[in-house]
Amino acid sequence: MDLTHLPLSWANYLSIMGFVCLLVLVWLVPRDIVYEDAPDQSRWRDIRLWATILIAFQLLLYGLFTR
Amino acid sequence: MHPLDLAIIVGYLVLITFVGLRLAGRVKTAHDFFLAGRTLSWWVIGLSIIGTNIGANSYVGAAGNAFSIGIAQANFEWIGAIPAMILAALVFIPLYWKAGVYSIPEYLGLRYSPTVRVVAALIASVVSVFAIGVALWAIALTLQTYLGWPIWVGIMVTGTIVGAYSIAGGLAAVAFTDMFQVCIMFLGGLVIVGLGISHTGGFSGFAETLVLENPDHLQAYLPADHASYPWPGVIFGLGFVLSPAYWWASQAILQRSLGARTQWDASAGMMFAAFGKILVPLLIVFPGLLALVMHAQIEYPDMALPWIIKNVLPPGISGLMFIAIIAALQSTIDSSVNATSLMLTRDVRHVLLKNANPDDDLKIGRLLTLVLLLLSMCTAPLVAEMGGIFTFLQTILSLFQGPMLALLILGAFTRRATPQAGLWTLISGVVVASATSYAGVNMLYVAFSSFIYALCALWLLSGFTAPHPEKDLSKLTYVLWRRN
Repeated sequence: MDLTHLPLSWANYLSIMGFVCLLVLVWLVPRDIVYEDAPDQSRWRDIRLWATILIAFQLLLYGLFTR
Repeated sequence: MHPLDLAIIVGYLVLITFVGLRLAGRVKTAHDFFLAGRTLSWWVIGLSIIGTNIGANSYVGAAGNAFSIGIAQANFEWIGAIPAMILAALVFIPLYWKAGVYSIPEYLGLRYSPTVRVVAALIASVVSVFAIGVALWAIALTLQTYLGWPIWVGIMVTGTIVGAYSIAGGLAAVAFTDMFQVCIMFLGGLVIVGLGISHTGGFSGFAETLVLENPDHLQAYLPADHASYPWPGVIFGLGFVLSPAYWWASQAILQRSLGARTQWDASAGMMFAAFGKILVPLLIVFPGLLALVMHAQIEYPDMALPWIIKNVLPPGISGLMFIAIIAALQSTIDSSVNATSLMLTRDVRHVLLKNANPDDDLKIGRLLTLVLLLLSMCTAPLVAEMGGIFTFLQTILSLFQGPMLALLILGAFTRRATPQAGLWTLISGVVVASATSYAGVNMLYVAFSSFIYALCALWLLSGFTAPHPEKDLSKLTYVLWRRN
């Protein structure tokens, strides 16, 4: 299969799609797994929020550095 | 050498040795030695993961690549790391934690068979010895360049310092020294960014020159017909296979997560490291771009970073960058030595020697750490003279990663994968990967195709072979849709 002719713009669309799918997956993870053994139930300990910020950063960076 | 440079270097070596040895008193059992007695907090784990990950090639090689291809080099830190790290934190770390394992080969052994455990541990261990040798050689070369030490002295001194705290303090010493080392790396990186930008007339001057003279160097993805980093290869090969295989299955990386004081700390540590990865290109990609903007006259791209150190950093500060490079290499060596010692002590010894006494694990672990370091010190000059061997071993490891990832994914998310199918998929997957690699296919596509083959083979073969006993599967598989 020859992939060399695929347009560069597809890379951007594919990665945006990938990050959105990842975001959905992140929020499918049950809350009890996220808070397992956590010292308290503070909102900041919900690492799904950390993941959401990370994904937002990635979308921003790839938006900035792709045509 | 400027006296301030020398003071920084000596101060760093004394501090690292002191911190490492201070933690030795905590080690009473193999559990303390290999998993730090499960006492590590999330921020120590996060910094230690970054320290372990930034290795021999990161500083010099990545800056050189950035000089040639630009910001696309950052893909190895962004799309080639962060998505996999997020899933490691939310899916795989909780799974390994629930299984109560010391190592990833141990998880594979429980999920598939002891043979898979031994094979996975042995391949990782052999590659690790050579990787440590390469890192030792790189440190010795750096010491020779800056201090004029003979190569053998550099190898001996580094091996002795790393050996002293790794053998005495185990994972806790490794993780805490990694933490210091990462702080030094970031400090050195930020100094380069600050001074570099001021040399080029401020941020706007830097950005304008880069945009006007090298607009292609600001593209995260390279065309699909690019010889080394075509974008489909980066997304599918790196993003979907090589990166997950590394972040979900590397013992050197995940060992500190398994040494966390709670499951939450383990997961949060990985997520914290992912935030650090966003900034890593500032340390390792920016110097390459800076050399480009400053029109560095260099013979080959890997000279970009040394050129920046020589032409941008004032005397007294270059020592900081010097120890940042040493720190990056040391944190990789100590983590690899500890992880390999664990795999040989438990995953190979416990399976092959049926009468192995677990009470001897601490003694054996320390002895193996020493042996591994000595072996790596001996192989370091060999690796330099016969670099092809290391390239060959790295290729073997990459051939192994696609099939290994398929075993991990189907093993973790389904109950269908069977022990026999796992072993045969692993063997045949490596054969398929070798054949495609031999045909001259780009390594990123080899990884992706062998992964797809292994997923299909494991799924099909599992339909014809004896299933895993149902009672053990609940703690070895992950159910995403369970909600309380």
